[in-house]
Amino acid sequence: MQKPIATTRSATGIPTGRLAIWWVLASEVVIFGGLLASYVMHRIGHPEWANAAAVTNTWIGATNTFVLLSSSFTAVLAHQAAENGDGKQAAKYLMMTMGGACLFLIIKSFEWYHEIIEGYTITANGFWSFYYTAAGLHAAHVIAGAIIMGFIAKDAAKGRELQRVEYIGIYWHFVDVVWIFLFPLLYIAK
Amino acid sequence: MTDQNEQHGEQGHHGEAHHVNYRKIYITLVVLLAISVIGPHFGIVWVTLITAFGIAVVKANLVVQNFMHLRWEKRIMKWMLATSLVLMALLFAGVSPDVMEHTGTRWVNDAALAATARGIEAPHHEGEAAAEEAEPAGTEAPAVAEAPQEFDAKGAFTTVCATCHGPMGHGDGPGSAALNPKPANFSDPAFWEGKTDAELIKAIREGGASVGKSALMPAWGGLYDEAKAQALLTYIKTFKP
Repeated sequence: MQKPIATTRSATGIPTGRLAIWWVLASEVVIFGGLLASYVMHRIGHPEWANAAAVTNTWIGATNTFVLLSSSFTAVLAHQAAENGDGKQAAKYLMMTMGGACLFLIIKSFEWYHEIIEGYTITANGFWSFYYTAAGLHAAHVIAGAIIMGFIAKDAAKGRELQRVEYIGIYWHFVDVVWIFLFPLLYIAK
Repeated sequence: MTDQNEQHGEQGHHGEAHHVNYRKIYITLVVLLAISVIGPHFGIVWVTLITAFGIAVVKANLVVQNFMHLRWEKRIMKWMLATSLVLMALLFAGVSPDVMEHTGTRWVNDAALAATARGIEAPHHEGEAAAEEAEPAGTEAPAVAEAPQEFDAKGAFTTVCATCHGPMGHGDGPGSAALNPKPANFSDPAFWEGKTDAELIKAIREGGASVGKSALMPAWGGLYDEAKAQALLTYIKTFKP
């Protein structure tokens, strides 16, 4: 089968696929950065939000941070395995990363369920609007990443398109980095 | 297949594997996470801020450099990401002064002021308040209900009214510069001439336009019920000459 030109070309000296994923992330920095910067300026302008922030559960946030850090570790191990040409091992590590994504989402659902039944909905006030928008946008990235990872793992297990293991990894680490900032913003700075 | 693998070899970072101890980086990240959780327990604001945000920056940097391999990436990539961060900083620098402050030399953000004054009750606080109200309801409900529960008229005046009317009610608050006509000066005897309490409470609750005065005086009825407006008026009368 004829392969798409982007797979084999590296006009900039950087493989085009990897260049593309960095471009995606550069735009993501502005999307998440804009959202988080808006949150920070509103938080500073509204000292009363501290009452709402006090409600978020630090332990749940910390557990989810641990889950994402661990999933980033398995993602980088998948990349290492792919670099060594071991597609099967890479696929195994990618599946573990997907497991981390699922665990993260389960914990998040549990957390949101309890907050929502207590009346802290997205319309409760400014703090909760930001809380659900930022964490929700992040969760959407977790879901999308996990799905794409599934396709890549399937190919990698057969030793195909191993370069993609690195690309999905770079994306996954970015999702991790976003959470690294969401955690102190929403859970620690009370 | 072999073709692809060869390509991958060529396309890797300069064709060689990085000698990074991923396990060590991972353990460092987990230790840093633990520190950021422990930080707030000291109860010192700057310690919390450093353990929360300082450590977040260190963690993010560890992930970006070692897991995302930005260290080995071409310089153009770093510039690309730096550009995004600069755009984000520009957004913050441009917008934040108007968001973090609720008054400026020529403007007042009434809605934000009101929201800040109203505050946000935490759930357990709400629960406690509800329990307190519910308890005496059976016995001495009327007396409790009538008392304006600990309404801090002076505090409300300082946070909300003083923005335009000034802390001493002279009509010279920071927001007054932008207003024409100027906010009422409560220390001016002329202001009090021929004004009834009912009229003044109506002005507080329904806005200046409701009593034929400046529409720039917002309606605060959503924030202050009749009793609170009365308490505010009582406080405002302390400025009366």
